[in-house]
Amino acid sequence: MPYTITDTCNGCGACKRLCPAGAISGEKKAMHAVDGALCIECGACGRVCPKEAVLDASGKRCAMIRRSLWSRPSFERKTCMSCNICIDECPVNCITLAEPVGRKDLHGYPYIKNEKACIGCGFCAVSCPVDAITMIVPEQKDAQGPGETRAAG
Amino acid sequence: MNRGYMGKILNVDLSKGEVAEELIPDEVYQKYLSGTGLAAYILYERIPAGADPLGPDNILAFMSGLLTGTGSLFSGRWMVAGKSPLTGTWGDANCGGTFSPAIKRCGFDGILFTGISEKPVYLYVSNSKIELRDASALWGRDAIETEEALQEQYGPNARIAVIGPSGEKLSLISGICNDRGRIAARSGLGAVMGSKRLKAVVLDGRKRIVPYDQEAVHKLSRKCNWWVRLQLPLGPSIGVGLLGALLRILPTAMAMDGVIYKSILRQWGTGGLNQMSPEWGDSPIKNWKGSSVDWPLKRSGSADPDKIKETEFIKYHCYSCPLGCGGKCSMTGKYSETHKPEYESVLALGGLCMNEDTDSLFSLNEMLNRAGMDTISAGATVAFAMELYEKGILTREQTGGIDLTWGNTSGIAALIQKMIDREGIGDVLADGSKLAAERIGKGAHEYTVHAGGQEPAMHDGRQDPGFALHYSVEPTPGRHTIGSQIYYEMYQLWKKVKGLPGKLPFQIYTKNSKFKGTVKQALETAACSKYMNVINGAGLCMFGCFLGVTRTPTFDWLNAATGWNRKPEEYMEIGERIQTIKQAFNIRQGVDPRRNRLSARGLGTPPQSEGANRNRTVPIEKMMSQYWEQFNWDPQTGRPTEKALSKLGIG
Repeated sequence: MPYTITDTCNGCGACKRLCPAGAISGEKKAMHAVDGALCIECGACGRVCPKEAVLDASGKRCAMIRRSLWSRPSFERKTCMSCNICIDECPVNCITLAEPVGRKDLHGYPYIKNEKACIGCGFCAVSCPVDAITMIVPEQKDAQGPGETRAAG
Repeated sequence: MNRGYMGKILNVDLSKGEVAEELIPDEVYQKYLSGTGLAAYILYERIPAGADPLGPDNILAFMSGLLTGTGSLFSGRWMVAGKSPLTGTWGDANCGGTFSPAIKRCGFDGILFTGISEKPVYLYVSNSKIELRDASALWGRDAIETEEALQEQYGPNARIAVIGPSGEKLSLISGICNDRGRIAARSGLGAVMGSKRLKAVVLDGRKRIVPYDQEAVHKLSRKCNWWVRLQLPLGPSIGVGLLGALLRILPTAMAMDGVIYKSILRQWGTGGLNQMSPEWGDSPIKNWKGSSVDWPLKRSGSADPDKIKETEFIKYHCYSCPLGCGGKCSMTGKYSETHKPEYESVLALGGLCMNEDTDSLFSLNEMLNRAGMDTISAGATVAFAMELYEKGILTREQTGGIDLTWGNTSGIAALIQKMIDREGIGDVLADGSKLAAERIGKGAHEYTVHAGGQEPAMHDGRQDPGFALHYSVEPTPGRHTIGSQIYYEMYQLWKKVKGLPGKLPFQIYTKNSKFKGTVKQALETAACSKYMNVINGAGLCMFGCFLGVTRTPTFDWLNAATGWNRKPEEYMEIGERIQTIKQAFNIRQGVDPRRNRLSARGLGTPPQSEGANRNRTVPIEKMMSQYWEQFNWDPQTGRPTEKALSKLGIG
């Protein structure tokens, strides 16, 4: 089931600009629509919508979250097997391999190269076979502290 | 219902410039899996008898695997299939990198090309667009340049497969490249792509791949990863070379456990065997005429695995691979880096041509990767030419002044450049040694070692007769990535599949016992073929599967990804079906399976008088006949019987 946009949409276009699958269409200031065949259910539209007009795959209304509070993957190097699955899974290509440091371990390990591009979908965490990725809400000065959430895939 | 596969293929007609999606019914996946199995099913139906491999009727299929993207490990192989212009038989080749999941992220299990485009084109597929675009500006550029140009245009999400100049010039030993120098090299399918004037396939989809039970798949992957992490302390690489020497001297052999080979792969990659293989007779030397005596440790030290490892600056993992046998190496000269030369490339361009120049192994590897030419066939063809030169059948005048004395590095490089450019003697040799021998005449065919027109890889049947058998009986002749006695030992299929002969851990047996050609051995080799078809349907990597079927749980992964809940024996029957339909494909194309038998020299007829494999002859006639019998094919002709076809539901 894809995400859907309801009639509280004001046509601001924020979701359309963010959608990594190019699944959202609509004229400026007119109601937007999600193409169900293209939607990958990353939930970015729901998190960004100021009007909270987006319903998720189960029909629940998505809450808007300030982008600086979107969860980000944190990689546990000891568990990581350098298999590249997370890199392939990321819909915005923000993960890449870090060059090895020294000669002892020549495997490259993933890290977020482009923090700003991350949409907090958590696909990387869900797809990691060895659970080496945890989604963490960045620490904020005015927030209570870091919270940990596993992404819903 | 999510079953790990996408349920669709994309048909592209290059003559008409049209594309069409096609739904594939679930029953087809249940009978043939995805990957080469699905390709075999479709191509058997759609390529007409007698089709010109380089004509519009041939279909070139880019296939992903059923397990690719499901969270299983080692599932990053993609496969290309079609009628091979090199052998006239069923052709397929297999490659790692990142291209396999990209096919599925566009929503397809395979992309199939027919027809011939009027002008050079490439296919671009994204989530919402499928278009053939003009490739005139890319035509003539090498594989890596082309990939980089397209990458810059389409960004980091794009995954790209291309042909180099070799495929464009229809060299029958050319392949298809991706990820800057990985290559689906065998069967000459790069020439098929060139004949269709298809320069590249650019995949930019972002669809999700959903298995039936991802947690179950992941649980199996975690268990498998434990075995991958179990790294044996191997010490310096010379130890592996000396082990080869010890195995040569002993009259006995020992059943191999995949954990040992896996540890070699993790430490050095396939090149870990660069010195061991020639020592114990696994690698042919000097165009299959030489032996371990001609290529002792001192000379094979030119490809010392530790020395090659010093140049490695990052390990290369294909998609979903925890092992990372590949690597990127720095080098001097025209290019600054190359994918770590694989064992096959090193021995084909090294020992087979008596070439001791370490630097040239890197530069020739990069040169061939960029040209999109198969290093195995290219090396073997050069070795063949060198022997002709020694015999006086090829003169310096004919070679255009190139000195082809054994081991002359500059001569090898010059000749390969001519083969890539199809210039002079290069034009004669650019289609492999069998065709070259026909063009040269004067008894040159006596010095070729091929199976059905394809040069076998750097694994010698006189050491492990299983290789000689698979070279000779596979529907893709000359293929080394299917079975052998040692592969059977590592797959450990008997632990899962009822009725297969078991081996004790590290079981000792005499070397002579390998050459008996028993029915038990036929059962084992047939099991390898069937299992490899399952692996290629799943899109798994053979090296991962070498860990053994209980540690790399192919069957369990398939059940978890599809929700089918089938027994291992049922999967082996699927493998049998795929093998049979590929053989039926060959029969329809007028191929006599008997003609694919490996050349006499590779079979030890006459036997060698010195070295690791002295006095060894492969009883090939008996072995082929027994192998065919295992599939219920005619034991005399290798043709699938009506009974075999109807039992497997092949129409």
